[in-house]
Amino acid sequence: MRFARAKLVVVGAVVTAGLVAGLTACGSSGSGGNKPKIVLGTKNFSEEYILGQLYKQALEAKGFTVSYKENIGSTELITAALTSGKINLYPEYTGEIVQDVFHRSSTPGTAQATYALGKKLEQQKGYTLFDATPFSDTNAVVVTKATATKYKLKTIADLNRIPGLKLGGLPECATRFNCLLGLRKEYGLKVKFVPLAGISSYAALDAGTVQTAIGFSTDPVLGPNSKYVVLPDSKYLFGFQNIAPIVSQKLVDAYGSKLADTINSVSALLTTPAMIAMNKAVSIDKQSPQVVAQQFLKSNGLS
Amino acid sequence: MILAATGSGPVIPHYGTGSRCVVENHAFCSSWVSAHWGDTLQPALVQHVELTGIAVGIGFAIAFSAALLAYRRRWLSGPIEGISALLYTIPSLALFQILVPFTGITTTTVEVALVAYTLVMLFPNFVTGLNSVPADALDVARAMGFTRRQTLLRVELPLALPAIVAGLRVAVVSTVSLATVAAFLLPKGLGYPIFLALKEPSPFRTEIYAAGALAVGLALAADLLLVAARRVLAPWAHRGVA
Amino acid sequence: MTSAAVNLHTFLDAIRFIGSNWHLLLDKAAQQLELAGAALGLAMAVVLPLGIALGHLRRGSTVAIAGSIAGRALPVLVLIAAFLTVFGIGFVNNMIALAVLASGPILINSYEGVAHVETNVVDAARASGMTAGEVLRRVELPLALPLLAAGVRVAAVTVVATAPIAAIAGGGGLGDIIVNQAGYGFDGVLGASICAMALSVFAYGVLTVLERAVTPAGLRRLAELEKGNRRRETVPVANIT
Repeated sequence: MRFARAKLVVVGAVVTAGLVAGLTACGSSGSGGNKPKIVLGTKNFSEEYILGQLYKQALEAKGFTVSYKENIGSTELITAALTSGKINLYPEYTGEIVQDVFHRSSTPGTAQATYALGKKLEQQKGYTLFDATPFSDTNAVVVTKATATKYKLKTIADLNRIPGLKLGGLPECATRFNCLLGLRKEYGLKVKFVPLAGISSYAALDAGTVQTAIGFSTDPVLGPNSKYVVLPDSKYLFGFQNIAPIVSQKLVDAYGSKLADTINSVSALLTTPAMIAMNKAVSIDKQSPQVVAQQFLKSNGLS
Repeated sequence: MILAATGSGPVIPHYGTGSRCVVENHAFCSSWVSAHWGDTLQPALVQHVELTGIAVGIGFAIAFSAALLAYRRRWLSGPIEGISALLYTIPSLALFQILVPFTGITTTTVEVALVAYTLVMLFPNFVTGLNSVPADALDVARAMGFTRRQTLLRVELPLALPAIVAGLRVAVVSTVSLATVAAFLLPKGLGYPIFLALKEPSPFRTEIYAAGALAVGLALAADLLLVAARRVLAPWAHRGVA
Repeated sequence: MTSAAVNLHTFLDAIRFIGSNWHLLLDKAAQQLELAGAALGLAMAVVLPLGIALGHLRRGSTVAIAGSIAGRALPVLVLIAAFLTVFGIGFVNNMIALAVLASGPILINSYEGVAHVETNVVDAARASGMTAGEVLRRVELPLALPLLAAGVRVAAVTVVATAPIAAIAGGGGLGDIIVNQAGYGFDGVLGASICAMALSVFAYGVLTVLERAVTPAGLRRLAELEKGNRRRETVPVANIT
């Protein structure tokens, strides 16, 4: 009898200790105040980490509290996070909004029109766009210099000369018109797609796993003295892709113009040379996005 | 609207060129490690210790309670061991994803999975430890008039200690390993720098080796700490077992 | 929709995915087994003779024990990433990484299996005129079989269960779907995860049956008795990452 009770005490104490550890570990979701918390997310590649850090630090410098969720995933995943309320702000590309969030098969012919359409579509769903950056980062069809020379590649359609052609890219490329689907339809490419979930297109090109791959136009490895060649997108399949942060209307209403001004003041500085320089610092010189963003903001008086 | 660059454009600071070692992706660049210890490696290490500590702590609590229960009710240990063994065969990536519909993409999901794995390693060892208490010791205790609780606290648990520590060693080392995969879901722990380094145009060797070495070092350090603890708590048991 | 309904709905979607993508999932599973098999084969080829030799000579226990601890303490992600930088992207780097993982249980179990054959038995065999080689072949190995088989089983289940992560480095298998939510949707990820779990359980079942088949009943009983008598670390615990 005595033992039964003692056993209960011991078991109870140990389990309670474990539960307490667990509950404190699960973290406090400090709710408080009636304003919605700013939850800023990013997609899953280097340029987005930099953009995320830029906006996060600029907001914090102006006194906002930001909850930061890095590396959420591709457009499809981060849109799900946005619509389910897990985040309420993230940097998105204007063309992506039109083509991949709202699945329009054709994009407007100018950057401004793309932005306007994207904004209109988002506003119908309770979100809106802040102003767009000067820089645009589109997909790029990339081959190594050696491959370009060997098959005399000048246009995207020339890729069909390569026997057993394999194209590498982020997995989401397979279902997108501004990627694999359009390349097959508009350019008539006969190609096998190799999804690259964990390694970069350039690593796959170097290893010979694929003969061509999808890169981004602001990738620093495409800079001067590059060992890669970009085949021109003569049909504007990849559209216009300026960065325009998507934000929930509720957040805008809660924080007003101060939020918009802070974000826009950062965006205004993001020219193509500025973005490429930051990409280079992170991808090639291996600096951390947090530090690079900090240096950029400081030099331009925003932190 | 689309903003236009004002004037001559923004000030582009000099971010510091990476050393030749880094830019050419040599085998190991200690300059990078010392420069980025604070912003990349140390935070990851701290997060990793947290993830592991919480998982082992909770796992220990649950496994210990379950072992005590199973010790008194022998019929329980078979089923519990069976379930644990089955849990252990689930690939960690798969288990994380299976939990996502329930707990979302949060630390909780990761911890639930890690705790499940530690249970497998801790429970059998705890039960074995308790069961391996020699009958003579129990007889002596009874002869000395110990209550069941006193027997448990003063005879059975101390004698079971080596097995308990053995289970903890395996659990801690394995959890450190498993927690690296958690970075696929959450940007936390030593796995995250490795995933990021793999995504670079040319997979960044130094970051992979540095984060990897930290993970291995952490596991080995924890293992050594537990061996030292066993020496202190159960000096009679220190035989040739590593 | 209540939370429970959402969860049920999600799992039903996953089951539906499995139903309509049987062929793809089987292909991926086969690919995963191929990688696991190659890794296990490599580990056995390298480490099994080593463990047996060390056990026979009754030397190098520290090597064996250190090897098994190292096997546990090396996260598979680190191994895959490190070998990728050396061997490039594809099958080879993943196979070697998984082989390193498999080596721990095989090494420690082959060493202990052979080394812990009762010395009286070995002495008796020697006394009856057997050479060292014959002692190994006809006495030590058969008696070590239960532990050896257990070690191989643990190693095999470990590599099958760990293989999915190789997908991030071009290793293929069901992991290709699990890491590719953008391509297959969450129902695909969940479906492939369920299949990966099933594959592991299946491998565990098959290997347990094989292990029993290979181990004569008498030896099995003997091994269980010995396991009860000796208070050593519970060795056959795998490190699945």
